[in-house]
Amino acid sequence: MSSKFGGWAGYILRVNLTTSKISKETTEKYHDYIGGMGIGYKVLWDNHVDGIKATDEENRLVISAGPLSGSGAICSARTTITSRNPVIRGHLITDGHFGGHFSPELKFAGYDAIIIEGKSPTPVWLKILDDKVTIEPADSLWGLGIFDTFAAISKMMGQQAQVAAIGPAGENLVAQSTFQTQGGHSAGGHGSVLGSKKFKGIGIIGTGRVEIAESTTNEQLRALDDHILGIIGANNQGVVPHDPQSWAEFNAGISRWRGGPGVTWGAADEPVMLEETPWDDHQKVGMRTSMAEMYFGREEANKIFKRPGGCHSCPIRCFCELKNPKMKTEYNLPTEYITNTCMGFLDPWYSMGKPGNGEKKTDIMTIGGYYMDNLAIWSAYGQLSHIMREFTKRSFWEVLLPAEEFAAINWEQYANLDAHFMQDYYTRIGLAKSYNGSNYFGRFLGTGLHNFINDEGELYNIQDVLDDVESPRMAGLTFALESDAEENLLGKTYSVFLDEGVHVFNRSMVGGLHHASEAAGQVGALLATVFNRDPQCHSHINLINCGLPYAKIAEVAESMWGENAFDPVKHYKAMNVAKAKFAKWCLVKNVLHDSLTVCNWMFPLLVSPDVNKNYLGDSSIESQMFSLVTGIETSEQELDDKAERVLQLHRALSVLQMKEPDQRNNHDALCEWVYDMDPDKIFGEEGTIKMDRADIQIGLDLFYAEMGWDNATGVPTRATLEKFNLGFAADKLEGLGLLPA
Amino acid sequence: MITRRALLANGAKVAVGTVYYGTLASFLTGCGSSDDDDSKETPIIKVLAGGLMVVNPVICVGCRRCEIACSWSHGTSAVSPSTARIKVDKNLNFGPLGVQANYVEQRGEQGDRTIVPSTCRQCDVCMTVCPEKAIYINETTGARIVDESLCVGCGYCADKCPQQVITIDKITRKSLKCDLCEGNPNCAQVCPTGAIKFYTWESAVAAVEQHEKYLTLI
Repeated sequence: MSSKFGGWAGYILRVNLTTSKISKETTEKYHDYIGGMGIGYKVLWDNHVDGIKATDEENRLVISAGPLSGSGAICSARTTITSRNPVIRGHLITDGHFGGHFSPELKFAGYDAIIIEGKSPTPVWLKILDDKVTIEPADSLWGLGIFDTFAAISKMMGQQAQVAAIGPAGENLVAQSTFQTQGGHSAGGHGSVLGSKKFKGIGIIGTGRVEIAESTTNEQLRALDDHILGIIGANNQGVVPHDPQSWAEFNAGISRWRGGPGVTWGAADEPVMLEETPWDDHQKVGMRTSMAEMYFGREEANKIFKRPGGCHSCPIRCFCELKNPKMKTEYNLPTEYITNTCMGFLDPWYSMGKPGNGEKKTDIMTIGGYYMDNLAIWSAYGQLSHIMREFTKRSFWEVLLPAEEFAAINWEQYANLDAHFMQDYYTRIGLAKSYNGSNYFGRFLGTGLHNFINDEGELYNIQDVLDDVESPRMAGLTFALESDAEENLLGKTYSVFLDEGVHVFNRSMVGGLHHASEAAGQVGALLATVFNRDPQCHSHINLINCGLPYAKIAEVAESMWGENAFDPVKHYKAMNVAKAKFAKWCLVKNVLHDSLTVCNWMFPLLVSPDVNKNYLGDSSIESQMFSLVTGIETSEQELDDKAERVLQLHRALSVLQMKEPDQRNNHDALCEWVYDMDPDKIFGEEGTIKMDRADIQIGLDLFYAEMGWDNATGVPTRATLEKFNLGFAADKLEGLGLLPA
Repeated sequence: MITRRALLANGAKVAVGTVYYGTLASFLTGCGSSDDDDSKETPIIKVLAGGLMVVNPVICVGCRRCEIACSWSHGTSAVSPSTARIKVDKNLNFGPLGVQANYVEQRGEQGDRTIVPSTCRQCDVCMTVCPEKAIYINETTGARIVDESLCVGCGYCADKCPQQVITIDKITRKSLKCDLCEGNPNCAQVCPTGAIKFYTWESAVAAVEQHEKYLTLI
């Protein structure tokens, strides 16, 4: 063991692709930032270079595990990828994540993180065999789809290798591209960063171990494991079953605890017909989620669902391992299998107009999912797909695309919900300029929306933008659907900030909607202000969507953050301090999870399925895991403080990268539709999720106060930064005139 | 192909002092049953209350909690697929036979999504090949156990293990193998689908036969 603590491996690899130099650094200087996301942001801060693009040589990319990754703690196998992101205006930093088995293997090999810097002249991949780390030529891999890449690297290294790679999208410098690992796990926004470095991927075999603190015994580890199993539910911490089960007092349609009578793993070699999945049966935890029926409907799911899957150390198994024979017989794919847990299926569905359950939808989602993953495309939490759907609905493509290109796209397939459409659609997006033929369509969808809109969210002529015309013309699109009249938009110039349908939520960042005002009013809205992309935060969802009656959820929320922390959806009340505290808590926990690493789609566990506990959970699980594994006794608050350090650093780095002292107005602004939707209703009226501008500004006031950020600008004050030992960040910002007085 | 007779014989042959109710002939051939001579049974060999862990690949969901619990309950609790005495890692992505050209058709997460963990069959091979006679049978559980005081870490057992589930610990230089956790296997306790179970010699046949089907190329 290289360190006196359990958990951390002790070393970070720094790989310079320009010089081909590989070096090792100690992880110890990052312990105050925990690991994972904390290492990512600290490295990006330390190595900050002004005004560079994500695809410039000086941009660094950090792939990081945390002290818990590989320790076996429940749900601890996430990996965080941190770098500048070309989908975001200003190419600001974002963190993407994937699960699977990659970060445990990195830890078994002896590393907590890998920093990729520089640029290789020719395609390369990184081979890690414990302490033997080499840069290998990737000429034979360049151009391969993701699945063949995984096989090729595994063939070279050994069948037990864990591999992460970019696909053709990243290679073709498509901004909306991913970095993926085996099992359907993908991290968004950074595929082209690695593509620009000619970096194809990483293969790891780790024959070492993750140390557990000497003072910790198996009995203690198992006792905590059993305690967690006594409070954990299903995916997104649904703690009641979806349908009534004899052991359950409650059931709720919002819960993802779907496993029970009627659900069949029908594509298994011997179909598995589920029985009830009682909360206290530890040998049935993995059957609870069975999520395919949520996406495909029960009838289709029971045909195609082979088994659930997911990440190392997780009993919940939120992934769907699907078998659709038509993938081969009808659509000429090499395989009849596809694995995903959400956007891989939903993006094709959103793109095609959200058809109802049935064979067409099943084909769209499975075939589309295959192409998305094989090309390694990132939708930015659906943004690409929402644009596709809404622009098609509005007949915008005929205006935006050259006539010949428009005619070359098979719109008849689209209209018929024919999944054959998926091939050309995703291929255009994934190949961009390399596509054989005129491809403004694919290049527009893959480049990041912010590049194509003016300050009002109105579209430029996309051909002008893609042709690098210095002053692009406007596209001249208008709101022309009958339904636009209901929103008082008919006849107005089309703007993505006014159109609820494309789901842009954060106006400043052109960031996507992801559990925002439609989930938790102002709390959800505030969460969308902080990150530079969609927030990817489920801390609130894991409480508010748990399936317990509203009164119970409100009671838990009140006990945590104060009265009226959580309003019933579509019946919101005015902003208050409790909601600001709730929002801050969500973000701190989200950052904590991405640093430890722990799954934010399950944790925190505020509630439980145990009626004997009055359905209450335990918010201190993460700190208990951390204490046992590392041997460093750490309270919940102490661990949250470390996570908050990372969150504060993220904010400071965003300010630094933007060179923007006014975060309130230039980073934290929300789209007009958020306030102006449902014009016949007012904020607070039952039946609408619309927000109120003044109320949200109060929300920012209260949220900034909780965060210790300057009221006018939303920038962390020196006092706050110093409280978290980030005085160096205060100094840097002050030197540039970015720190509030 | 594992036969009922082979499994039973394995459990009984080397376990002196076991009791089997039936004729010697029926025992050795695996044919006939103990019902033949209900009133005239004489104990010949006592069958151990032992057995082995077997995984059902149909419901293994690849969480590797079995590997984790095995790690936690042995040595310093350090977690490692190398030192875990159940092997999931090596078969996880491409199945038990490595990366084939037609990997999409084969087992594993990159193929037909079937995961085929390897478990110790508590057979004789490691015991037989050990030059130090360091592997013995636990009388209570029937598990083949490594006596660390005798083990010299030569690795012969690991090399010859038909299931490839033995590793030599890099730090202690001792052979690591499944010891059935003194009768209460940790892996089975934590499996979230009940895919891995302990089977007695009698009841293991069907489970082992099923597992065997997943050890060949499709």
